[in-house]
Amino acid sequence: MNPTTATKGLRSPWATQGPRVLERRLGSHLQECRAVEPDILWARVARHEIRTAVETAVREMGARFLISVGTDRRPRGEGYGIAHLFSLDRDGLFLGLECLVPEWAEEVDSITPIIPGADWSEREFRDVIGVEPKGHPDPRRLLLPDDWPEGVYPLRRDFPYHERPQAPQPTPPPRKEPPAGTTVIPLGPFFPSLEEPAYWRIFVEGETVVGCDYRGFYNHRGIEKLGDSVLTWDRIPFVAERICGICGFIHSTCFCQAAEKAVGIRPPRRAEFIRTLMLELERIHSHLLWLGIAGHILGFDTILMQTWRIREPVMWLTEEISGNRKTYGMNALGGVRRDITPEQKKTILDVVRKVEEETLEVKAAIVGDTTLHARTREVGILAKKWATDFCVVGPPARASGLPIDARLDHPYAAYDAVPPRLCTQQAGDTWARVVVRVEELVDSVRMVRECLERMPDGPVMADLPGNFPDGRIGISVVEAPRGEAVHFVMTGGVNRPYRWRVRAPTYPNLQAMPAMIQGQNLADVPITLGSLDPCFSCTERMEAVDVRTGTVTVYGRAELEAMARRHRP
Amino acid sequence: MNASWGNLLLALVNAALVLLLSPLVEGLLRKGKAFVHSRRGPPIFQPYLDLFKLLGKEDLRTSNDLFYRAAPSLSLASVLLLAALVPMGAAPPLGFAGDIVVVIYVAAMSAVLLILVAYGSGSPYAFVGGSREMMVLLAVEPVVAVTLVVGAMKSGSLATAGILEWNAAHGPAISMILAGVALFLALQAQAGKLPFDIPEAEQEVMGGPLVEQSGPRLALLRWTLWAKQLVFAFLLVELFFPWPRTGWWIVDLPLALVKVLLVLALVALVDVVNPRLRVDQAMGYFGRVAVSSLAALAFAVIGM
Repeated sequence: MNPTTATKGLRSPWATQGPRVLERRLGSHLQECRAVEPDILWARVARHEIRTAVETAVREMGARFLISVGTDRRPRGEGYGIAHLFSLDRDGLFLGLECLVPEWAEEVDSITPIIPGADWSEREFRDVIGVEPKGHPDPRRLLLPDDWPEGVYPLRRDFPYHERPQAPQPTPPPRKEPPAGTTVIPLGPFFPSLEEPAYWRIFVEGETVVGCDYRGFYNHRGIEKLGDSVLTWDRIPFVAERICGICGFIHSTCFCQAAEKAVGIRPPRRAEFIRTLMLELERIHSHLLWLGIAGHILGFDTILMQTWRIREPVMWLTEEISGNRKTYGMNALGGVRRDITPEQKKTILDVVRKVEEETLEVKAAIVGDTTLHARTREVGILAKKWATDFCVVGPPARASGLPIDARLDHPYAAYDAVPPRLCTQQAGDTWARVVVRVEELVDSVRMVRECLERMPDGPVMADLPGNFPDGRIGISVVEAPRGEAVHFVMTGGVNRPYRWRVRAPTYPNLQAMPAMIQGQNLADVPITLGSLDPCFSCTERMEAVDVRTGTVTVYGRAELEAMARRHRP
Repeated sequence: MNASWGNLLLALVNAALVLLLSPLVEGLLRKGKAFVHSRRGPPIFQPYLDLFKLLGKEDLRTSNDLFYRAAPSLSLASVLLLAALVPMGAAPPLGFAGDIVVVIYVAAMSAVLLILVAYGSGSPYAFVGGSREMMVLLAVEPVVAVTLVVGAMKSGSLATAGILEWNAAHGPAISMILAGVALFLALQAQAGKLPFDIPEAEQEVMGGPLVEQSGPRLALLRWTLWAKQLVFAFLLVELFFPWPRTGWWIVDLPLALVKVLLVLALVALVDVVNPRLRVDQAMGYFGRVAVSSLAALAFAVIGM
């Protein structure tokens, strides 16, 4: 655990007042409430009062919903555990509201009527644990494929990870009926401006969007299941990194931090700085990638080609540091597996200086582009209220005026020593999201420099305890380029977590999409979706496959590598 | 109509020139675009290879309707007919008194055929693309008409040859320059270039009217588009920027070709430095261009 996070959490008035507020509202229905970690307040609530507890947390404590975690606790004789996780942003505190659902009941009151952003989380535990959220407005299947039989719940402990049940008849979840007089324009399951499969059915009147329906999770691979049934503690960071092909390091860091917190390991300070450095390098290349894709969606391929050219040296740099362009494999429980050498330090500074220079050139070019303004201003507006309701995170939240940034709210790694600048905008439109990202990009360059400047000497890996304690909880958030990623770890498995829960930033952000495109022109739908920087594989927790591997079969890997290296300056 | 064997031959020369040269011009434009992108770009002759490959493929159709089947060929034919109505280094081979009216109609034919192809392909993307094509056509056509009428007013002739002769003889006039600029802006849309490639918008409607087209049909429709941008560029430089004029076809044609390449390079430049507009924004834009071209008409009326 990080001392700064810990002290921030402990100093928070809610650390002591929270239990009191909850007790006042719930009385004897609040079975237990204590700080299980310096920054985690954990409350166990009677099943029938979970909605009241959530309402109290949201309305009275100003808690922001993160994710729900469904856990099969039957082997421990506790039925099913449904926990809703919250963040008290200004206080650096996490709040978990848990209720136990007895085996015979298999249902719990839905909290989606209070928090619209809990929609998917609740559908997800319905799919994988089999606890019905009662009163959910849209209880359709979300995560499991069409040919998965009803009544089989993959995250239950007695379900073997390698079983492949097959329903006799594929039954896709019922589709939303388009309003009368509208045409359905399908976006997906495969669509040119989406790099990954997702199926949006857009209901249009002429070219005006009047509604939409979503079916996704085509990429779901059951990584969480692997985490609590097959993998061991030391392997999970590598699998976690493969959750996403763009921001993998975020997931491995987030898992390691959650596990370290739960187990009680403190990584060396130098390792925390190296993690921060790599996270910011990842943000730089990811934001450049996004800027290019956003340009491409608008047909502005010059932006695409130039930003990706600027980005390429960052990829070479991470290859020099870690051995890989992406998926660095550097994180491990207790620290990092590679150090930064003085020669690498010089290369890093050279590369980020060039990136900064060229990014500012691109920024100057796009800021004055009137056609670009015409296509992005007042397009895909995400009102502040919706951003709050759908629990939107990251640049889209900041572009709608919500001052949240995990790096500031829950300072992890070395962000206490290298704080980011909070970049917010008020307009909430696509242009605001462009501006926020470009500012963050430039700020990341500064943070990389300061990180290298302030990095202390020392070891990069801590010693691990021989035995990991049982029944401990760890929650970690990491501000990915797309927003805040959340990892939840509960110890107690056999050399592995009892439960590992992942929430990628696109998970809440994508839920705000229907509100953002309502009343928009069809032509604005791709860029609105693109402006969220969606990452479906993160959201759906799969291993992202680079689409360009298609070319590998033509050229051969060795030749491609040789080509890439030959063209290096 | 002065239909002699010579003119018929020249008409064939024009059509052949457009047919054979337009892929090359497209290849050059792609190369220029790649340069701005910091890319190496495809070989200049790639468009020929594309056509060759597509023409050799199986002909797949979503409808067996005779008109739907013939639309791509008709579309290319309409542009070749236009090539014979547009001066290319010489008076238009099929020109006659009053031919600008025919030019306006023939110029719109390929777009109309594309819309029919879109509606016949039964895809929602093609449907949206078709309706966008129609809106763009409705916005651009008045601009083309007004610019030609300006030329007619100035020269007192309803024939392209007449406008060309007058302009070459009298030198630049304010109204003609303004009309030329307006026609250039229309050319951007006629060539399907950004910021007006709205009907095809790959990222929004996956190629719009072309989404269901493949093989030889796609080859002909692409060829139409490339030929169209070349013919329109000729129309622009020959009617509004015809100087210098020697009167010898063998000299005037290469001269016009150089000017055409310059104009198209400019079109490509506008293409690479702009994102795509929305169709309502494009219509508003061409509305303003049409109003400005009326100013050219006003100048023409007062003799400037």
